[in-house]
Amino acid sequence: MENILEIRHLVKHFGDHEVLRDISFAVQKGEVICIIGSSGSGKSTLLRCMNFLEQPTGGEILYHGKNAETEWKRTLYHSKVGMVFQSFNLFGNKNVLENCVLGQMQVLKIERREAEARAVAYLEKVGMGAYRLARPSQLSGGQKQRVAIARALCMEPEVLLFDEPTSALDPEMVGEVLGVMQDLARGGMTMLIVTHEMSFARDVASRVLFMDGGVILEDASPSTLFSHPSQPRTQEFLRRVLARQL
Amino acid sequence: MPANIPTTFFAWVSFLLDKYGELFLRGTGVTMLVALTGTVLGFLIGLLVAIVRTIPLPRGVWYRKLPMRIVFFLLNVYIEVFRGTPMIVQSMVIYYGAMQIGFRMPVLGAAIFIVSINTGAYMAEIIRGGIISVDVGQKEACTAIGMTHWQAMTHVILPQAVRNIMPSIGNEFVVNIKDSSVLNVISVGELFFMSKSAAGAYLRYFEVFFITACIYLILTFSVTRLLRLLEKKMDGSRNYTIYGSQSDSQSSIRVQETEEAE
Ligand SMILES: Nc1ncnc2c1ncn2[C@@H]1O[C@H](COP(=O)(O)OP(=O)(O)O)[C@@H](O)[C@H]1O
Ligand SMILES: [Mg+2]
Repeated sequence: MENILEIRHLVKHFGDHEVLRDISFAVQKGEVICIIGSSGSGKSTLLRCMNFLEQPTGGEILYHGKNAETEWKRTLYHSKVGMVFQSFNLFGNKNVLENCVLGQMQVLKIERREAEARAVAYLEKVGMGAYRLARPSQLSGGQKQRVAIARALCMEPEVLLFDEPTSALDPEMVGEVLGVMQDLARGGMTMLIVTHEMSFARDVASRVLFMDGGVILEDASPSTLFSHPSQPRTQEFLRRVLARQL
Repeated sequence: MPANIPTTFFAWVSFLLDKYGELFLRGTGVTMLVALTGTVLGFLIGLLVAIVRTIPLPRGVWYRKLPMRIVFFLLNVYIEVFRGTPMIVQSMVIYYGAMQIGFRMPVLGAAIFIVSINTGAYMAEIIRGGIISVDVGQKEACTAIGMTHWQAMTHVILPQAVRNIMPSIGNEFVVNIKDSSVLNVISVGELFFMSKSAAGAYLRYFEVFFITACIYLILTFSVTRLLRLLEKKMDGSRNYTIYGSQSDSQSSIRVQETEEAE
């Protein structure tokens, strides 16, 4: 299988604080990788560095074998590696449809009619087609997140990064967003998902990474990681989280 | 002296209005012209300054950052100087300064220039506040889909920033209507200057400036109301239509949001 992304010896410092230390892993086409770990272990920073929302301190990120920082045009790379945020970050001055149209027209230079058609198609896919004229402030959290996913899909990315997409949602809305993500996974979308939803990780992920203290402590299939975690830190984390979720 | 000299306050007011009505009107016109163009140009200056100040520093070694740092420093100096000195003093320095180096500015042009550049310094800070008021997450979302800093600013951040600071922009306009009166020191024919000439003729300062105060009040009051209307219009329709439903894809529902309590 082809490596879409390869992270090599990624390091990130915030001042003296070493948040990521020597992270290496590869993402293959069609993989759904869930990243778990306790709060403050560096999961968000890892995703943000992969998308250059944070400037890595060291190491390199290869996209299709070429250095993402120096050999790819930054805006092209961004449009190919999409991101969904915990806090949705919809554009407050634009309605649902325009949220999905803007990037296509500005970045991909697609003309309006085609961009709108594509936007409607992806909004239908996430079950938000009916709300295309609503403003973000008029939507529930789950609806906002589904629009945010449609907005990311409109760029036709090759990989989608999700940073705790359901953590800001009321419990009854978590399901609708996870459902959309599960559909994407079935459709073959390559995804990296930081999540605290252990049952989702178990059912949907093809691989699970456990992060602790800025390193990847364990990288295994969900069945292995959840039933036979090899590291004591993983066992302890799972015991704590599963006790809360079950 | 007029044939029948007014004896009461109201008689004087009506007499002066009759005699100097045109003068008051011309003064009002100049005041509004200076305040309006000054506010609009000041807004554009402030916008430019605020946008430049949000440009991220180039990455890498210090000398690549140096040009931007110098620009930032100069912009800060501009803002500090014009916010830190009275406009009446700025008028004198600019107008007579230009004259000493042999450049005689037309007074109306000078007036608009002074008000614009003064307002620009305040607007830069107001707009910076507006930009900060828009959640950084939206800027990151722009970056994450590949938009440039400029695209993010013009399509997402600034429209919301400007909407958020509309009350402050309106306030600057009202301040300019009132404070353009200091420009009488460079003999611009605005309302205060015209009033002074009208008062001088019969030495009726109280009556004349009573009229002047009423005019200023009417101007600021109507401008404030108009701006409120404009703000309401900018918020646009709070209604939207939901197209289709699970049972009937042709149906549509109008959703009406209740007016927010003020
Ligand atoms: N912008 C930042 N500046 C300084 N420290 C940061 C910043 N972002 C994150 N950190 C620190 O990095 C560590 C990892 O944070 P984060 O990646 O958000 O963890 P997680 O997503 O796993 O909860 C935390 O200790 C956090 O305080
Ligand atoms: Mg996080």
